[in-house]
Formats: sequence, C-alpha cells, structure tokens
Amino acid sequence: MKLRLDLRMALDRFDLQVDLAALGPVTGIFGRSGAGKSSLLEAVAGLRPSARGLIRLDDITFLDSTCGICLPPEQRSVGYVPQHGLLFPHLDVRGNLLSGSRRARQAGVDHEDLLSHVASVLELAPLLSRYPATLSGGERQRVALGRALCSAPDLLLLDEPLSALDLPLRRRLLPVLQKVCEELAGSIGRLAGHPIPMLFVSHDPTEVQALCDEIVVLRDGDVIAHGEPRRVLRDPKVYALAGEDGFENVIPARVSHHAGGTSVLALGRSGLELKTFRAAQEPGESLYLAIPSNEILIATERPSGISARNVLVASITRVENVDGRCLISALLADDLPELAVEVTEVTPDELGLDAGLQIYLVIKAASCRIYGGTRS
Amino acid sequence: MLEILLLTLQVASLATVGVLVPSVVLGYALARFEFPGKRLISAVVGLPLVLPPTAVGFLLLRLLAVDGPLGRHTLGLDLGILLTWKAAVLAAAVMSLPLVVRTVRVTFESIDPQLEHMARTLGYGPVETFLRIVLPLSVRGLVAATILGFTRAVGEFGATVTIAGNIPGRTQTLASAIFSAQQVGDHRTAHLLMIVALLLGLVAIWVAESLGPGTALGNSQQARSRRTES
Repeated sequence: MKLRLDLRMALDRFDLQVDLAALGPVTGIFGRSGAGKSSLLEAVAGLRPSARGLIRLDDITFLDSTCGICLPPEQRSVGYVPQHGLLFPHLDVRGNLLSGSRRARQAGVDHEDLLSHVASVLELAPLLSRYPATLSGGERQRVALGRALCSAPDLLLLDEPLSALDLPLRRRLLPVLQKVCEELAGSIGRLAGHPIPMLFVSHDPTEVQALCDEIVVLRDGDVIAHGEPRRVLRDPKVYALAGEDGFENVIPARVSHHAGGTSVLALGRSGLELKTFRAAQEPGESLYLAIPSNEILIATERPSGISARNVLVASITRVENVDGRCLISALLADDLPELAVEVTEVTPDELGLDAGLQIYLVIKAASCRIYGGTRS
Repeated sequence: MLEILLLTLQVASLATVGVLVPSVVLGYALARFEFPGKRLISAVVGLPLVLPPTAVGFLLLRLLAVDGPLGRHTLGLDLGILLTWKAAVLAAAVMSLPLVVRTVRVTFESIDPQLEHMARTLGYGPVETFLRIVLPLSVRGLVAATILGFTRAVGEFGATVTIAGNIPGRTQTLASAIFSAQQVGDHRTAHLLMIVALLLGLVAIWVAESLGPGTALGNSQQARSRRTES
C-alpha cells in the first residue's frame, strides 16, 4: 500500500502537521498521549472536518483541499477500531459484526464467509448472541476489531486497541493482532492477495516492535522520526518518549525444549539459546521474547558464580546519552535485532564501554517476558 | 361525558403526533449541532413552559385574529381555527412542545456521538446512521417524551379556553369541563370527570414507569444473555 499524508489541522494545544508516505503494510503511529496520534487517525477516517491537505490511499483520494475533495467517512472504506471499542449497545455481537457488511457485499465479498473466517480467527464464535454490556474488556476489543474486518476495509485504523486493557490482557491480545496481520492478510475484499494495510496507534514500544513494519513518531503534532521500529525506538529522542513505561527489547524466538520449570528458547538461526521460566507454548512454536532494557546487566569479563541463567556474548554497536541515562546498543548475532541496555551516565567511562567492544550480557530468566506468538 | 373524554383524547393525540416529528428534528439539531440562533430557538421553544398559559393563548389569538399575521386580512383566506377543536389541538401542541423537545434533546445528548462516527466509518450515511443507530438507542426516551407530551396536552386549560373557548360538545375538554362543572356547582359531574382524569393519569404513569431501567428492549435482551451466561 501507499498512504500519502500531507495534513494540517489545528488541535487544542498545537497544530498537527504531518507530511509522509506510509508504505506499511503495518505502520505504527507512536508517541506519548496527547501527541496528536488519535487526531491523525480520525482525520484519515474522515471524522475531522477541520483537517486540510492531502490524504491518498494508493489511487483513491480521501482528501485534497486544493481541489475541494473531501470524501465523507462512509465513502472512505476504512475499518476503524477506537480505544474503547464503541460497540453498538442495541445489537448483539453478530449484529455488530454484520453492521458494516454492506460494504463487504458491495466489494463482492461473501459476507457470511468473511464473518465465519473473522469469528474463527478472533475466537468470537461463542460470543455471537451476547450483547456488548455482557462482554469483558478484551472480548469487546476483539468484537470491535472483528466488526472493522467484516466491513472488508481497504485500510485498518487501530487507535490503541489494547490500551484500555490491563497489561496481562494486553499481552494476551497482542498475538491475536499478529494473527490478524498474518492470517487475514490477503483474504479480504479489493486487496485480496495483499496484506491489509494498517495504521496502528500506540504508545507502547513493545506493541509497535511486535506488530509494525515501520513507525512514525509524533511529538506535539510533529513527525520527529519515521522508519524501522527497532531502529527508530533506539533513537535517543524517541527512546526518551518510551522511558515512562519502560522500554522492552522485543525479539522473535522459538521454543527449543522445556526442562523442568524452565524453557530453552532458540534465538534466530545462529544457535543462540536463552533460558526463561517455562513458556506455555509447545516446542517448535514461535513467540516474542521481551526483555526490559533496564534489567540487563553488562559485564566486561565472563562472570561466574551468579544466579542469572543467561550470559550471552555481544558486541557494542553504539553508546548514546538519553535524558541523563546512557543507552548501549549491543548486537548478539547478525540476524537478531540489536538489544538496548540502559545504564547510568557514568557506567561507560568506568567500564570503558565503547563501540566495537565485546561484552557479556547477563539476563535473569525472570526478566524475560513471553508474549504468545503464532505457530510457525 | 363520553363525548368529553373522546374529544380530549382526540385533541391530545393529534397534538402529540403533530409535535413529535418537529421535536425529534429540533431536539437532534439542538443536541448535536452548533448553529447561529441556536440559543434563541431554544429559548423561544421553551417559552410556553415559563409563560402563563393564558398569555400563550392570547398570543395565539392575536396571531390568528382577522387582522393578525396569520389572519384573513394577511393571508387572504380564513384558516377557520379559532373556537374549533383545531384551536384546542393547536393550543395543546404549543404548550406541550417545550416538554417534548427538552426530553428528546436530553435523550439524544445521552447517546455517545462517537457511536455515530463509528457508524459513518462502517459505511452509513448521516440519515441511515440516525435511523439505524440513534433512533433505536433512543426509543425509551422518545416514548417517555410522547407520554409526557400527551399528558400535558390532556391537561391543557389556559391556552385552550383562550383560543378554542369552552363550548360543550365542540371544544370542551376534560380540563375545561371540570372547571365548568365546578363553577356551576355540579359537584357530581366534577367528581366523575376528576376520576376519569385520575385513571388516565395513572395509566400514563404506569406506562412511563414500566419503561424504567431493565425493561426496555436492549436491557431485557442483555439481561437474558446475562442469564444464559451464568
């Protein structure tokens, strides 16, 4: 896909000013709350009449102020999933899922087929006759996502779909979103054969690393970075934004085997292994491993006699200062993303840490969080 | 007696039906949109609520008088409203309009406008959004507004006697008949009419109460699915 945005819009505290071309298929819009992320999404959906400029998805122009084009929301063919689901309270889950199906029919999609496919991927079948008031927060968000998908949209707009949920639930739903990206990609509507393009608003670095192909970082209405998620997130000015909630390194991994209360995960193709507390996944299944940047220790010599289960050899690629802290980027293997390690400002000088140096990363099994993945 | 009751019900029903559609349009506009003159319109519509009904009646009388803005001299034809049952309907409608508009407006304001945005992104135009999302969600409030408007119309007296008079068999409604009976000392008739009014009021309150929480459409369905869940 190619989503071309050149937007200006006055918000309460600042002006939103965005000029970019998103290639996706999954583009994250990242930034602190109040940075203008949701307003940007609403402008794309057509819910912000004050937006001026240009919005073009592939060859369809949603908005072009210079020639007075402004498609109303109902003609934009977007699937919008807001933070709080906004299910229709007078319709049951099935009614909600079918509420946008006319567009699917007009696009020549068999909407019953699509409904059963979406219901199976999102595990909604047992909920179909329930009413929104009786659903839990996680169920509501799944239905809201399902409703958007059942309308066979050309573009999915997800506005922090997981943020209203508590952290454990968020982590459980993350793989559901991955599944949507992977399994539903290419089976819907006009875009059959291509992945469904998605704008995914989030302030959670873990989510965007796990889901997005590229991210756009907003601060006070301006784009301050745009690119590959892991690289952008380690940019000092972006890293500072993630600081509040902490930053987790997200690495794709696969369960190698279980051993008692621990699991051994294989990282990448280089034979690197990492021990964690026992994962729920079966050997052979893939998952995402998340390690907080401030829970990794650095040693310049191989430590011994310590309780930490993992000591991995890595080489430093960058040393940067961020907000009075020091951010060290370290590479475990060429086919793995760099890890960010946070230390104090004075640590690099004391230990003589510098780019190119070989170091040992000490990681406790308890510091490794596992987010379910999909079967490979 | 039956004649009075039937005329009263006919006048109140027609007034309510006539008021409902403009109230829904006006209530929705006031609840959702900002437009020039919004406060003025809101104030004018609300006036009958705070004015003495006889003052409203007199105002209508001046409007419809032969030389008034809606009279024979201005329009070139006689609307033939004054001192007929049509005048009673007009008086009841004008007097119940503010109550109905207010209730409808509050009902619409209680619906999250984001739900309407959501519907738009799912492919519904503005009118379809109103019909498929807003109306079903406001059924209870609209029924409540209708009952309120109807009972207000049944009880209308001041404006009605001013423009429709109190002519037995032609424009005498329950409210004006009770007044007449009491004035001439016919307490038996006054009692009887009072009991009829009481029964009418009780039915209206009973219907309104049965619309309370947990009984309207959406909620009863939700309660049912909650039961099947447990």
